[in-house]
Amino acid sequence: MDQELLVRQIMQEVLKNMQGAQAAPAATVTAADYPLGEKMPEKIKSASGKTLDELTLDKVISGELTAADFRITKETLELQAQVADSVGRKTFGMNLRRAGELIPVPDARLLEIYNALRPYRSTKAELYAIGDELINQYGATVSGNFVKEAADVYEKRGRLKKA
Amino acid sequence: MRSKRFEVLDQRPVNQDGYVKEWPEVGLIAMNSPFDPTPSIKIENGVVVEMDGKCRDDFDMLDTFIADYAIDLANAEEAMAKDSLEIARMLCDINVTRDEVLKYTVAITPAKLVEVVGNLSVLEAMMGITKMRARKQPANQCHVTNVKDNMIQIAADAAEAAVRGFAEMETTVGIVRYAPFNALAIMVGANVGRPGILTQCAVEEATELDLGMRGYTAYAETVSVYGTEDVFMDGDDTPWSKAFLASCYASRGIKMRFTSGTGSEVQMGMAEGKSMLYLEARCLAVTRGAGVQGTQNGSVSCIGVPAAVPGGIRAVACENLIAGMLDLENASSNDQTFTHSDLRRVARSIPQFIPGTDYICSGYSATPNYDNMFAGSNWDAEDYEDWCTIQRDLKVDAGLHPASEEEVVAARNKAARAIQAIFAQLGLPEITDEEVEAGTYANGSKDMPDRNVVEDLKAAEDMLARGVTGIDFVKALYKGGFEDVANSIFQIQKAKVVGDYLHTASMLDSDFHVISAVNSCNDYHGPMTGYQISPERWEKIANIRKAVDPATL
Repeated sequence: MDQELLVRQIMQEVLKNMQGAQAAPAATVTAADYPLGEKMPEKIKSASGKTLDELTLDKVISGELTAADFRITKETLELQAQVADSVGRKTFGMNLRRAGELIPVPDARLLEIYNALRPYRSTKAELYAIGDELINQYGATVSGNFVKEAADVYEKRGRLKKA
Repeated sequence: MRSKRFEVLDQRPVNQDGYVKEWPEVGLIAMNSPFDPTPSIKIENGVVVEMDGKCRDDFDMLDTFIADYAIDLANAEEAMAKDSLEIARMLCDINVTRDEVLKYTVAITPAKLVEVVGNLSVLEAMMGITKMRARKQPANQCHVTNVKDNMIQIAADAAEAAVRGFAEMETTVGIVRYAPFNALAIMVGANVGRPGILTQCAVEEATELDLGMRGYTAYAETVSVYGTEDVFMDGDDTPWSKAFLASCYASRGIKMRFTSGTGSEVQMGMAEGKSMLYLEARCLAVTRGAGVQGTQNGSVSCIGVPAAVPGGIRAVACENLIAGMLDLENASSNDQTFTHSDLRRVARSIPQFIPGTDYICSGYSATPNYDNMFAGSNWDAEDYEDWCTIQRDLKVDAGLHPASEEEVVAARNKAARAIQAIFAQLGLPEITDEEVEAGTYANGSKDMPDRNVVEDLKAAEDMLARGVTGIDFVKALYKGGFEDVANSIFQIQKAKVVGDYLHTASMLDSDFHVISAVNSCNDYHGPMTGYQISPERWEKIANIRKAVDPATL
């Protein structure tokens, strides 16, 4: 990727926010629209901007598509979260929204952050710095605050790395 | 003088097993412990300030996580005020729908969950599972491993298992560095046997996520949670790290479930004097709070612990039921050797086999017991036709169906050739025709020639270093002449872009349609409702290999 992909995603976010400022709230999808891949395939694109129609075996074989074309987007996870909400699975929907925020975080960094969240691995300041990184660098507000909340709980329970 | 009767009884397999009397003070009790907390909740300004007799200041990490994330607070006060016996009766009352029960059960605390199911007989728990299972149609999962980490055998065993009906498959490793090959082999083999099968490779958490990100697996399950803070720490995680991990998977479009089970805490000597089922209820609340769609539970690898105490197998049924009460997918264990007795083996599985769960075993061993690298399953390849015959006897669909020698041998051979082709295309160490033939006809790894392990491990590491992905598997299969298998692996990669299969209790059919608890939610409410075996399916289940057509006699 991943630089180009990242830029593309940031652009998508920026544009969406600009549009979002004027547009009416988007209609929500429900279980009636599910499976989305069958009932509203036109709404789904890969992170590289490919439509589902463009994701074909032939294009994989010809080399036109790569692994980077097979990644889910924040928008799709939001639609899936709405489906989850519609059947009363709010906590699952929240997880999908947290996940949507984490899409732009590179694989290796995600693994590092997960390891940093394990007990006795990080100081409170280190976890807060990760929280800020998630919020400021990736726009992952919910996840960033979630990491900071973990730091507070770890402090209370004595599960931080000794500074 | 010794009684001859007792001499015989002493020799029986059941008496080779270990048993222990209850010791509730240390948590050596399955459920209904006098030391379990009394259910309670107090909510002030939308925050839980007291739960199960503990005030917020005294909460441990799990209490905090459960109070803040797991409980539906909008209905909590009403649900907690409802008599536990009344909720228990709703669970087995056919006139109360699953949705109505859920309104209460997702809004109560772990101590209340345990108090509710504590009123149930094992039969009533099974009735509860029949109604509360998330997906309408039950299914089954298997383990595909072997002591040699032989990838040809993994591919062949997976293909056979797919022909026999498993919807989902799991491998693991003897030697950790074999993980990429084992993950590749099970994915290819499974999809030779039946397109659309989801596969995983159980390894350490971070490695497992890495394999998923590379497209080597379709889901993850070995993401363990525990019922006390000390055991959680011992497992090197916290509810926050595990919840973050769950989001990491979804961010890559990969399905996942957590794992937990009764007995793990007391086995570690850190049960805090609570019953096994109460601690498991906390695990399930953490799972729900993390927003994970499902759980693998039912004591899992700790089954020897509840099985040793009175009522332990009833408690295991109750933990599966609680998973359903929290609206979670349930892959219900039955996956670990725990007894010398074939009778106990069957009895242990009845509470999942008869009602049906989302995945009855997690998993059934698709190999001989000696090849199962999860320390042996409760059901092995040798038991395939016992399982099928019991389905036929009881008219139950427990996910499998009979298969002929011809179709099994053909599927095994194709899988062995497919893995041979993909290895050749990816420049991995040669798989010989002799190995293909051995894999085609093998029962277990004793029938497989040895491979050059050093060379294999070097190649596996190199494959990761080269950045080979699931998309490269698709290309290699296609170029190796396995266009249909290439298409299956391609479709599974594509499913991760769409995310439909992230939902509760999903599986893919052979046309890659998602079947889950969204579009196929369990709607059981009494006789002739919910999942019914179709005439075609019954014909398949009933037609076991050894059944003779009376017309031929």
